Amino acid sequence: MPVAFLPVFDFPRVCRYPISVMADRSKFESIALAHLDAVYRAAVALCSNHQDAQDLVQVTFLKAFERFESFDRGSNCKAWLLTILRNKWVDQIRHKRVIGKVLPIEEEMVAEPQQNEETAWSNSRDLLENFSDEQVIKALQELPDEQRLSLFLIDVEQLSQMDVAEIMSVPVGTVKSRTSRARAILKKKLLSHAKEMGFAGDEK
Amino acid sequence: MNHLSDEQLEEVMGGGIRPEHLEHCDQCKKRLAEKEALASRLCSAFVSIKPEEELVEQIRRQLNVDSMPSEHGGRRCLLSIRSHWRSWATMASAAAVLIIAVPLIIHLSKPSSAAAAQAALVRIHEHNLSPNHEFYSESSPEKLADYFKNKLGFSPSMPRPEQGLSLRGCCVRHFRGQIVGSYVVETAIGIMSIVVVTDRPESLGMGQKFQHGEHLFWKSSFAKCEMVTVRLGEYSYCAVGEVSHSYLTDLLARLVPDSQK
Repeated sequence: MPVAFLPVFDFPRVCRYPISVMADRSKFESIALAHLDAVYRAAVALCSNHQDAQDLVQVTFLKAFERFESFDRGSNCKAWLLTILRNKWVDQIRHKRVIGKVLPIEEEMVAEPQQNEETAWSNSRDLLENFSDEQVIKALQELPDEQRLSLFLIDVEQLSQMDVAEIMSVPVGTVKSRTSRARAILKKKLLSHAKEMGFAGDEK
Repeated sequence: MNHLSDEQLEEVMGGGIRPEHLEHCDQCKKRLAEKEALASRLCSAFVSIKPEEELVEQIRRQLNVDSMPSEHGGRRCLLSIRSHWRSWATMASAAAVLIIAVPLIIHLSKPSSAAAAQAALVRIHEHNLSPNHEFYSESSPEKLADYFKNKLGFSPSMPRPEQGLSLRGCCVRHFRGQIVGSYVVETAIGIMSIVVVTDRPESLGMGQKFQHGEHLFWKSSFAKCEMVTVRLGEYSYCAVGEVSHSYLTDLLARLVPDSQK
């Protein structure tokens, strides 16, 4: 029976970085990575496919780590991360626009639904339950870019209009109008799907 | 009667003051209820959206890699160059640093596909160590060979357990869009994975070539892991673990069949 497999003994290296860097990373992981779920959800809302969403989350956290020293401890870390995510996402859209892969960020291109429009949503809660989660998310992903983010941050992440305004670098009034428009378009899209699937009557 | 605007309803939903009008107007009440129902459904649609564990690990690994420039003075060095820009002495030092650092950075930076390949190898290793994944736990090399023969169509070389190590088991994984085999070796000083791929060591970004015995080996490092690769026949055997290159090299040297030694 051979005595030992290898003559060379080298303890596994658990830590190869200076303690200060490890401490920063450890703090970052406990403060920022705790919001991974929210950042990931936002990326899913913004990106049309899973891989793009994962990539966006990764670049967001790398950028956040790079800027972690400037993060004001005690302030809203989730909002800080979502701001970085939004900026990265806008960069990506601009880059794709330059190389001609996507249309410009659309804001006013979709016809705004008429105010006080009567619909067939006699019981909206029941109607909405007919959609799968995937269908609802898909409909959200079809909204114009900035409206989509605004609606997502308000409804899903339950951020205040003020926080959303800061994240998106726009006045609060713009957030209200974007959210409102986004909600109206989403409703219209879902109604249209509902009719296609045969569980909603005609509009009006 | 003037109905509430959509923006006013948004304000109510955001926790703003509820206008008196809402108490009397059924139409506005209904519009608000619809908006609230939609918000609630949208929120519930995302409840099941969670990142995969793999993404968390990827981010952690990247944070490890991202920490490296400051450790080696990369980022701090640039800041210090800016703050002492007017000093000739500092400029001369900076030039010297650049002369040394630029080739070093070029040398250290890997092409993205190679870095991605190495990240994938490290990921396979980390998955092998994770208790929650599909793994064929078997210490008999013959049974592991049968498993691979069945799954991959060939039996890769494996070290003999009587040589002071034990085999934990094996699994098949995806690497660069192909199915590859991986098995785990346990020794007194650490656990290592060996991933068997058809890619040549050079294409994996294993830049540092060295001779050990009669064979050529390639070595590299990624995140916390070291990697050594040897080409045997049509396959490259990549040993990955948090142990030294020499340890991994010796492990791979044990794979060479007696007839080839």
